[in-house]
Amino acid sequence: MYSRMNFLSMIASVALFAVLPVQANETAKLATTMEATLDIMYLDAYKDYTSAQRQDAVRAIVEDQYDLEVLIRRAMARNWSLLTADEQMQVRNLIDQLIVKSFVEGMAGKGRPILDCGAVIEVTSKRIEVPVVISFPSGKTFNVLYRLGLLKTGWQIYDIVAENISIVSNYRQQFDDHFRKGNGAQLIEKLEKLLKQEELDVTTIIL
Amino acid sequence: MSQRSYYKRLFLQYCAFALTLCVSLSTGLAEGVYDYLSEEELYGDFEEELTVVRDPLESVNRLTFKFNDFIYMNVVKHVAEGYQKVTPDAVERGASNFFKNLGYPVRLMGNLLQGRMKGGWLETERFVVNTTLGVVGVFPAANRFERLQPLKSEDIGQALGAWGIGEGPYLVLPLLGPSNVRDLFGLVGDRAVNPLKEPYSVIGDSRVRTAYSVTNFVVKSPTLMRTYSQMKDGAVDPYSSMKNGYSQMRRGMIEE
Repeated sequence: MYSRMNFLSMIASVALFAVLPVQANETAKLATTMEATLDIMYLDAYKDYTSAQRQDAVRAIVEDQYDLEVLIRRAMARNWSLLTADEQMQVRNLIDQLIVKSFVEGMAGKGRPILDCGAVIEVTSKRIEVPVVISFPSGKTFNVLYRLGLLKTGWQIYDIVAENISIVSNYRQQFDDHFRKGNGAQLIEKLEKLLKQEELDVTTIIL
Repeated sequence: MSQRSYYKRLFLQYCAFALTLCVSLSTGLAEGVYDYLSEEELYGDFEEELTVVRDPLESVNRLTFKFNDFIYMNVVKHVAEGYQKVTPDAVERGASNFFKNLGYPVRLMGNLLQGRMKGGWLETERFVVNTTLGVVGVFPAANRFERLQPLKSEDIGQALGAWGIGEGPYLVLPLLGPSNVRDLFGLVGDRAVNPLKEPYSVIGDSRVRTAYSVTNFVVKSPTLMRTYSQMKDGAVDPYSSMKNGYSQMRRGMIEE
């Protein structure tokens, strides 16, 4: 009787470990990744970096931890299938660069912002959220919610919600509006033009 | 049961367990049933988060957007840059705090109209502490008290939303930027309850009133321009980005 109970409990515990996603470390992983990107932007060791070098370094850190294609494909939604395989590749790379560029510009300030990453919020067994409060020395604070989904490659960011604005929903609206009249080639042209703007207006006004 | 048959039974049980584990693991991996998000879940829920914004006046709105963009990039941006250049950080922070504190009547009314008595009371306490200990609101003295941490900002447009009034068509107001019919009425209400702004301003002298409005605008200009530039610069279609961003933000504020 004892051995049967022992046997059943072993099966149950192994099954439990098999289905339980490891979520607890996701806050730490996100915090470490974000701090590493802030190092690139604020440490003296990188002060001679050009804007492009800084973005490349940040992109390398982010892509080492997360697969941004999930975000991009969700933002493209049904429009993804309107692109040829070659266009998909190009659009993926260009939006990837645009997201990193926006992130670097958003995090630029008069001083290094302080990150306060909250505990993981479990939405379902395969969807979690990590709230982050970004506080700039000027006193401005921004609430950002990172939404992560469990994929075979691990927990991946599938949306970022900054001050109630979902990046996926925002880009989806833009892509939907674009594809009402435009096509993939025109989108690529627009994205390339956006990325070529070396000095964006935002860089002159910092918090 | 002899010891031999006991071990034999135990051995068979473990074999059965190992087999079950192998089969379930391989089946699970093959079929993706281990609670991973499927392709369909990840990329198929296109309607789930779509923010539908009614925009029957799109052509007029786009024209107004272009006009505003011209003014923002050629006038407001330079005002913001100039202001930041000549103002020390501490003064900039103080001025921003000062004008934020003066927005108390709007926040109070926004809370009261939504039946948030506690929020209204906390806003009042914050106003009193900031105005007295914080030297007319220049220093955010209330932040030093754990109980008086800043609340989410409330306004009359949010109150109208909380009452269930629909947002109506999306609008781009000249100079003021994105809005909707409900928030336009809210804006009129905000001005009506603010004793420093027209139409019911307690400031009698029109020159003082103008000076107050201009200074308030200049102080807010860096934050406004920063937000505007961030929404615009990373956008494939800035008009769409602004429309969607504004609508999401306001809906989120009302839900809170």
